[in-house]
This record gives sequence, C-alpha cells and structure tokens, in this order.
Amino acid sequence: MQLFRHANSIYGGSDVIIGASYDLLIWFVAAGAAFILFHAVFKAVTGTGGRTSH
Amino acid sequence: MSNSDMTRADSAPTGRVQRHKLIDRIYHWLMALCVLILIVSAFLPIFGWKFAWLDLHWTTGVVLTVAVLFHIIRALFWQNIWAMFIEIRDLQAGKPGKYTAAQKLYHLGVSTLVLAAIGTGLLMLRKIDTPLWKRDPYWFDDSGWGVIYAIHGFAAMALVTMIMIHIYFALRPDEWRLTRSMFRGWITSKEFRDHHDPKRWQAKEEA
Repeated sequence: MQLFRHANSIYGGSDVIIGASYDLLIWFVAAGAAFILFHAVFKAVTGTGGRTSH
Repeated sequence: MSNSDMTRADSAPTGRVQRHKLIDRIYHWLMALCVLILIVSAFLPIFGWKFAWLDLHWTTGVVLTVAVLFHIIRALFWQNIWAMFIEIRDLQAGKPGKYTAAQKLYHLGVSTLVLAAIGTGLLMLRKIDTPLWKRDPYWFDDSGWGVIYAIHGFAAMALVTMIMIHIYFALRPDEWRLTRSMFRGWITSKEFRDHHDPKRWQAKEEA
C-alpha cells in the first residue's frame, strides 16, 4: 500500500508525487465503519443510546 | 439571552426552541448536496464508472466555494463564530450550550477538510479550460501540482470518513432531535431543558 501516486517528471524523468493514492480510500471507509461500530456497541452496552423522550 | 427568554423556553410545556434558522438549514443542505456530488463525481470514475465528471465536479466545487464563503461571512458578522470553538467549560461536567465539545470538534475537522479541498480545488481550476479562462498548467511545476493534488485527495478521502460518521449520528434515535432540527429548525422546550444549559445557549422560543 502506498500513500501517494507517483510518475516520472515531465521535466526530466525523476520520480515525483502526482497525488494521493486512491488505494487508501478503503482505509478511510474502514476507519469510518470502525468508529460507527465501536460507538454503536458502546452505546448498546452502556444503555445510553435510546430515543430521547419528547 | 434575557432572563425572560430563558424562563419562557424553559417553562413552556409544548413550546419549541429555534435551533437553526432557515438560511442556515438551506446552507447545510446545499453544502451536503455539493459534497455528495463532489465525492461521487470524484471517486466513481476512479473505480471504473466512466462519465463526463469534470464539468460537474468543478462547477459543483465553485457552488460549494460560494456557499462556504457565504457561511464564513455570516458566521463572522451575523453569528458568534467563537461559539464553534471548544472552550474549557465544554470539557467540564454539565450540560452543553448549543453544541457539545464533540460537535465543535467535528465542525472544526470538517471545516479544515473542506477548506483544504476548496483551496486546492481552486488552484486545480487553472489546469482546465472554463468559459472564464484558458488552462495554464505551468503555474506550478509537476511536484508542486503533485502536492496540491495529494492534499485535495487526502481531504476528499477523509471527508468520506467524516460523512459516514455524520450520517450515522444523524440516524441515531438519541440524536434524532438534532436531525429533525436541521429539517424543521426547532427542538422542543423539553429537549432544550433535557440536553442544554440555558445559561450557555441564548435560545428563543417559537410560537
């Protein structure tokens, strides 16, 4: 897994960063899913996640 | 908020307390629509769904930029911008004002990411032809453009995480009053009493 996308520079062939690696998107999605899962389980276990009364 | 306002909102059994004005709700949903279009038009082509995404992407980005500028100006001159920054008392026990520390932290995070995406996105507009200007890809050298594209990409991917979390909280039953307030503008007086410190949130009751 790479953090960046690379390419050869148009000015001389050296390796340059051309952007973020989109392979990381799945990890950002996983981080969101992990947070949601952890929070939902925590709320369920502690019993603090019910609907509030109106 | 005057003491009489607090008393009214606190004592009314069936009253409503305005949480978001119409103009702020319109801004929120316009921003949500723009960010959704931007995320979809950015990532679907990367993962193989080919369509003419560029014009949709940059025009939506310009709309988002104008909306965010409007929001910043409104926050600076018509609202209390400091209300969105975390204070020491937000970390202490007790009911929050209008926003909790977590909500302020989320707002700060999304603000940072959106501003990073907008700032880099505006620079990236120099690389495309638009009705207003011709492309000039030589504003930066290729490593400079690479840094700009990297920041834009990381901000976009992090926004995906933030949007997931935002939608999750919006759908939680214990947060439903806040979601409803973003549609209708109000929470009930009981919700106000149960969840907020009237000394810290200068609320006005609706008729």
